[in-house]
Amino acid sequence: MPPGRKRRAVYDAGSARQLPGVLVREEGGRAVRDRAVNEAYNTSGRMYDFMSRTYGRNSIDGRGMRLDSSVHFGVRYDNAFWNGSQMVYGDGDGRIFNRFTGCIDVVGHELAHGITQHEAGLRYQGQPGALNESFSDVFGSLLKQWVKKESAARADWLIGAGLFTRRIKAAGLRSMKAPGTAYDDPIIGRDPQPAHMKDYYEGDEDNGGVHINSGTPNHAFYLAAAAIGGYAWEKAGRVWYAALCDRLPPESSFSQAARVTAAVAGELFGRGGRVEQAVKNGWKQVGVTG
Amino acid sequence: MKITFERSGGFTGLRLAAEIELAMLAESEFGRLSQLVGDSGFFDLPEQILSKERQPDRFSYRLTVAEDGRTHTVEVDEEAVPEKLAPLIGWLTEKVGPKDISR
Repeated sequence: MPPGRKRRAVYDAGSARQLPGVLVREEGGRAVRDRAVNEAYNTSGRMYDFMSRTYGRNSIDGRGMRLDSSVHFGVRYDNAFWNGSQMVYGDGDGRIFNRFTGCIDVVGHELAHGITQHEAGLRYQGQPGALNESFSDVFGSLLKQWVKKESAARADWLIGAGLFTRRIKAAGLRSMKAPGTAYDDPIIGRDPQPAHMKDYYEGDEDNGGVHINSGTPNHAFYLAAAAIGGYAWEKAGRVWYAALCDRLPPESSFSQAARVTAAVAGELFGRGGRVEQAVKNGWKQVGVTG
Repeated sequence: MKITFERSGGFTGLRLAAEIELAMLAESEFGRLSQLVGDSGFFDLPEQILSKERQPDRFSYRLTVAEDGRTHTVEVDEEAVPEKLAPLIGWLTEKVGPKDISR
């Protein structure tokens, strides 16, 4: 694969909801005074580097697509999203949430949604939707671990640490190591993520609980990575990446993801080997496989 | 008039939910909210306004307005919010504070 070239553009939406907004920084351009702009620029660049050096991927579409980000979307907007062609970040309401560009893994999460769209295309509903969310948390967390050069044993496995203001009693927004324990606070309540299938959310909100049920495949990934040891992006991450790119169909269920990742682990690192076993055990411990 | 407002989804997955009895509001808020409901043509909106291709991490809303013996519920995806409904959702999002976040 020829080496790719990193191209970035950051826009200022100026508190409006029109995208992309005004272009404020382009590839190679100097840092500006606006922290959110520089964070979106720098972190999307690190995600590009991570995916390129670790998995040989050239950008979101694998073909060098420019990484476009808009910051200052809406007024006190407490969210970040991928709109199908770019990343979009709000400033947070300042009461509960800080700005969304401040967390490395949030930026990685949004960019990963773009990769998923171009690869498995997991439908954003129910189990494929929760897998879509989980892949974004996995690669968001791996980006953070790669930047900090942390082993699976040392990483905090939190998503959105630092996203909440100091008023909120929270370690982060989600915990892959211990889903359901990221926050417990009088204002926002408790982290609802299930670590195990027995607590699967069956309701219809949030596209069938895509941000809730993602806790279960997140935990399966953590368990596999922790059992394998070392840097999580090297083996567990490679298995998940190959499954996402080459094997999972858009309507994948959790049990399909379990079968596919175990098969890929066998192909990449030896059939019946330690990695395959760790992946199988991970899915078994969260109740996806018997 | 009573309005029930729910927001789910988003990157954070934190749910917002509130019930607003308009008679309990200050006069200025009462006037503004009544106007926003009227401007949105709420009772003529379809029950579901869904985006063809859901964008990851966008919000979903469910609004119910009860007035003079009639009730109407609208489910709408953030990226599909009609222009005339946007100001009402904006007002409700601002109004519904941290205390109304619940799971």
